[in-house]
Amino acid sequence: MRMPDIALVPSFQRPASRVAIRRAASYEQDLATVIYETLREFDLPVRDKTVLLKPNLVGLDPLGVMNTHPYVIAATRESFLRLGAAQVLIGDGPAMDRDTEAIIESVRLREFAGPLARTFVDLNVDEVKRVALRTRASRLKELFLPKTVLGVDFLVSMPKLKTHHWAGVTLSLKNMFGIVPGSCYGWPKNVLHWAGIDRSILDINAAARPDFAIVDGILGMEGNGPIQGTPKPCGVLVLGDDPVAVDATCCRVMGLRPEKVKYLNAAGTMLGHLDPEKIQQLGETVASVRTPFAVLDAFRGLREPSERVWN
Amino acid sequence: MTPDEKIDSGSLNHSNDSLFVSDFCLPFLRNAQNADGGWGFHPGSESRAEPTCWAVLALQASIDAMNFTAIRDRGFQFLRAAQLADGSWAASPEVTTGSWVSSLACWVLLADPQSQQAVAAGLKWLCDDWPRDSSPWRRFLARFSSEHKISAQNDSFRGWGWTPRTSSWVEPTSFALILLARVPKEARPPGADRRRELARRMLYDRMCPGGGWNCGNPMVYGVAGEALIVPTVWALLALRDEPNRTEFLTSLDWLEKNLHGVASAGSCALARIGLEMCGRKWPAPEATFADFYSRNAFLQNIPVAAWTCLALCKRHEWLTGVIPERFPEYANA
Repeated sequence: MRMPDIALVPSFQRPASRVAIRRAASYEQDLATVIYETLREFDLPVRDKTVLLKPNLVGLDPLGVMNTHPYVIAATRESFLRLGAAQVLIGDGPAMDRDTEAIIESVRLREFAGPLARTFVDLNVDEVKRVALRTRASRLKELFLPKTVLGVDFLVSMPKLKTHHWAGVTLSLKNMFGIVPGSCYGWPKNVLHWAGIDRSILDINAAARPDFAIVDGILGMEGNGPIQGTPKPCGVLVLGDDPVAVDATCCRVMGLRPEKVKYLNAAGTMLGHLDPEKIQQLGETVASVRTPFAVLDAFRGLREPSERVWN
Repeated sequence: MTPDEKIDSGSLNHSNDSLFVSDFCLPFLRNAQNADGGWGFHPGSESRAEPTCWAVLALQASIDAMNFTAIRDRGFQFLRAAQLADGSWAASPEVTTGSWVSSLACWVLLADPQSQQAVAAGLKWLCDDWPRDSSPWRRFLARFSSEHKISAQNDSFRGWGWTPRTSSWVEPTSFALILLARVPKEARPPGADRRRELARRMLYDRMCPGGGWNCGNPMVYGVAGEALIVPTVWALLALRDEPNRTEFLTSLDWLEKNLHGVASAGSCALARIGLEMCGRKWPAPEATFADFYSRNAFLQNIPVAAWTCLALCKRHEWLTGVIPERFPEYANA
């Protein structure tokens, strides 16, 4: 069972976070080895444990441009099993379409990860448990969250590297919107919009903070993401033991300033590190893989100077 | 041999959908009923109103319905017990506020003579629950916000939300319309007809440019949203009493054209219901329901199994059936 209390620790009390950037030019290369070798460096406490991988499955995606790629999911699952995990589940609760099976079929997850009947958990219809929100960043006093998410030993957020038309960017913290069950909140999870997307992201992650994050940045999305944006090759995987530090690093890779992303800036005070001084960088440097992403005009303030605006 | 073992061994007839329903889906549903009379979303999980509604509808519509009377009555009992004091139904037992499931629960309990007061209270709750985004005050405020330019939709048309006092969405609006269409005029709460009209307009307004519906965002930042099977079917079923309207026909055409992309039993079942109920012929399917089951075992999802049964039932009285003739309790509630 995970310990939600450790989610809320002031940044000055946290040890430095570790984030690794790995080059991966395409989904054809041996990602399983890249991911396994990187996870070994982190020496994660997953032996004999139950791990839940939470990819970003937004919608029907036969072209593979909006969802976490199935090969990245499958390679991660295989890696955690090699590291001794007793069980590695895959789970998500798509926000816009209640036919989760159609989505996982459209992305060909079964072809890559094998039979899913006992491996995949549709978080939209999982049993739920009431979780009182201590952060109260939004107006919400409580959330009903899937028992699977609350019950696993190790939770991994696995987003795709994308800009987002409401939140600026959608990475490992925003990806956790997908644990909120549609069976309670609907498709889309409109209560969270009313409560404020940025603030809800903080509440959700404080209630179920990911233990690790792996961002699929091999092919990202820029502009009007998370669904209707433009595919953007970036050629990286970003992995780390702090979702805030991972997201901050991803922003820097995308040519965006993480401290300008509202929810990320707030998360940097209580959920993890935003400050590059507190992030131990492994693998490639940010500068060596930096690939500026275009953003909607409403988010022009996120850009580092001299980057272009999407129209 | 259990149904699962039959599937694994290949002894279950894969080519005949009707046999698949009778040999597998109906026993699957029957065996998944909990001791409290309800169903969870998966066998063995705690009972909730939504899967209970689908399971009861499916068993009731089956050719063996007479054999399921006791099971169905226990389902009714669970639903009555799950109703909240304000007349609504919550999405989960721990939740203390009502939700869109109230439409579904009323729809199912219409068939139960003992539930007339429960239905009347549920109908009243539904008709009193207005979405917050489209209130006159909100619409006034929206004029000064940049957000109203993002999505081109007419907020003076109002339907129902997934949760109280939020926004109108296609599916909960469709469920409420389907329910209200089945309730005789004299039994509808005051204001129900006005709400129906506003909700119908809202659905037409939210249709995707090429026909069909998604959750309710036909256009965002000037980009057309893509329609989806599930909301399209429910919207068509809610609007099927105007079968000659252009929007209806365009959306029905969209559904028919997009059958080839159906990748799951849930969408397949609902698409079949939608097409047949709207007068189109169901084409020879590329995959049988047993084929779909062999892929992911329906993710053990009770509503999907129920929709499969409903798609294959001989008569669609669960959707069109005659409402009990006497409704004094509804009118007096």
